[in-house]
Amino acid sequence: MRYGSIIKVPFGPQHPALKEPENFMFEIDGEIVVGVHPRIGYNHRGIEKAFERRTYLQNIYLAERICGICSDAHTTCYTQAIENLLGVEAPPRARYIRVIIAELERIHSHGLWVGIAAHEIGFDTLFMYVWRDREVVMDLFETLSGNRVHYAMNTIGGVRRDIPADTVPKIKHGMDFLEKRLKYYLNVVQNEQTILKRTSGVGILKPKDAVELCAVGPTLRASGVKNDVRVDDPYAAYDEIPFNVVTHDGCDVLSRIIVRCEEMLESINIIRYALDNMPEGMIRVRVPMAVPPGETVSRVEAPRGELIHYAKSNGTTKPERYKVRSPTLGNIPALCKMLMGAHVADIPIVLAGIDPCFACMDRMTFIDDKTNKKWVWTMQQLRRKTRK
Amino acid sequence: MEKENEIAEKLKKHLKNNVFEVKIPRERRIFVKIGKTALKDAVKYLVHELGFTHLSTITGADTSEEIELIYHLAYKGSIELSLKTTVPKEKPVVPTITDIIPGAVLYEREVHDLLGVAFEGHPDLSPLVLPEEWPERVYPLRKEYTLEKLRKLTESTES
Amino acid sequence: MKSPWLLHFNTGGCNGCDIELVAALTPEFDVERFGILLEGSPRHADILAVTGPVTLQVKDRLLRIYEQMPEPKYVIAIGTCAVSGAPFKDCYNVLGGIDRILPVDVYIPGCPPKPEAIIDGIAKLIQHIAEEKTRGKGK
Repeated sequence: MRYGSIIKVPFGPQHPALKEPENFMFEIDGEIVVGVHPRIGYNHRGIEKAFERRTYLQNIYLAERICGICSDAHTTCYTQAIENLLGVEAPPRARYIRVIIAELERIHSHGLWVGIAAHEIGFDTLFMYVWRDREVVMDLFETLSGNRVHYAMNTIGGVRRDIPADTVPKIKHGMDFLEKRLKYYLNVVQNEQTILKRTSGVGILKPKDAVELCAVGPTLRASGVKNDVRVDDPYAAYDEIPFNVVTHDGCDVLSRIIVRCEEMLESINIIRYALDNMPEGMIRVRVPMAVPPGETVSRVEAPRGELIHYAKSNGTTKPERYKVRSPTLGNIPALCKMLMGAHVADIPIVLAGIDPCFACMDRMTFIDDKTNKKWVWTMQQLRRKTRK
Repeated sequence: MEKENEIAEKLKKHLKNNVFEVKIPRERRIFVKIGKTALKDAVKYLVHELGFTHLSTITGADTSEEIELIYHLAYKGSIELSLKTTVPKEKPVVPTITDIIPGAVLYEREVHDLLGVAFEGHPDLSPLVLPEEWPERVYPLRKEYTLEKLRKLTESTES
Repeated sequence: MKSPWLLHFNTGGCNGCDIELVAALTPEFDVERFGILLEGSPRHADILAVTGPVTLQVKDRLLRIYEQMPEPKYVIAIGTCAVSGAPFKDCYNVLGGIDRILPVDVYIPGCPPKPEAIIDGIAKLIQHIAEEKTRGKGK
């Protein structure tokens, strides 16, 4: 089987020496990775089951907390699903506000990630600069919603808060500032030798593999595949807003950095257009508590890629079944492929390249094929390995 | 809805009486219910002939009598077709589709973990999300397990 | 007193608290002016800063990290999940609140708490430690 080697079954199902299996187990031959075995229970909380226990309104709060970095993507996807089951549509103004918040989130998420990637490469100055500039977006979230993280803007039937006219200049000013900074960072990542050396030609994912392994988001687009839910399966107000889908043909970690930087610039343009063309009117419609029986699929382009929710309703105030597939899970098979044949020292940056939730990449198990030795390295320990 | 109808017709023609139900609730959304034995053939046809190259995810759901499997496939990232089939609870077995779509590998593993469905031919169905000490054959997404029951079970394994 | 070394550990949360803790490090908030440094190894850490509601996978490792820390050691629960587990308190793979298995010195609620709140909590702990030392008590 062609892809059987990606997921190698390690020696026996039990590892008595390791009480807590780590999230990734690597088989190595010398300094080269020859097998990748993912196991991602670190932050499996059992949320899908909990959804069935809460009302549709309470579940907005839960959906938001699936992820603290792209919480708006989850609530957008969720509220869309329930609106669909109810046969209602959020009013036009609400759909524009959803776009603005979603794009602000994309900027904050990608910015956060660029900082983390820079830190991974050892470029701490860049990390500090980017995270300082990212505070502009965090400030805007606080102004618009009252919170820096978990902004709770979405509700079933629209949004909970308007974007008042007197905040528009502040948002635009923030966008102007960020645009200058981002253009500078884009220049840095494409020309700085430290970054190029560690990321160019590293973590290759060929387009054919990206598609067969069902990769999503910037990981997919950095292999030249032009898919983006905002354009392919438009939602909110994206079908009324012109913008470019960013792709790159490099297929490596550097391409993933460039795609995210350019996407942030696109997000700035989307926000400006949305602010200038936002229709007047209501920001929400009232909806009933009980949802008629039905099922629906809702998709959004979260910062990390395609996010999909499936909902099944049964006429009560609580869902029958609610399924969430986060984009990171969608990219793990592609990640495994990228790591096959890679140098052990490249594991951290390739891992970072798909923009995973960083809690789950803390520690990794290694098995040396030749000596049969097993050990665990933390991310810190792994970073200290240099390529010969 | 032209393209959606076209796809539905082609699928019906190919699978004949293995297609139990087709719903096109809105643009870019198709729901098709098929017999279990037609699963692999349907996936092959959708992927190779109709261009549904992207598998978004696989949903598993306990419908009391059976376990429902829904394969969410996308055409050009745009039209999402949800292919549904069911397996009996006493023998929840289906063939794997990882030989047609390698990207299905972790989605099948997740459904196996949480609902106990066996995907024949899958390269590795070891636990994906549940912890090592999780009691065997306790599938959290099955309706017979309430949250209280699950907490009692896990607390007893802790000691 | 010498600068306390802070070890950060996520027990399976949504990462919201973690990014605000890291933001506390950056120039805008700058926790380092309090003399706090982020440390990777439990053997050198004074303060264990925990986020997340404690998933079952992570429980043993959390305990082990705490055991590896030398005395005197202190624990901060950052975020409502670490404080009590909410909103995942009833989820099947979640223990719910770190004080179910560790003694906690400072609770910083919030979902997530802002970087200022995190720094405030840490500062309160440092003050508490300093006061204990002047009173001649160790922990």
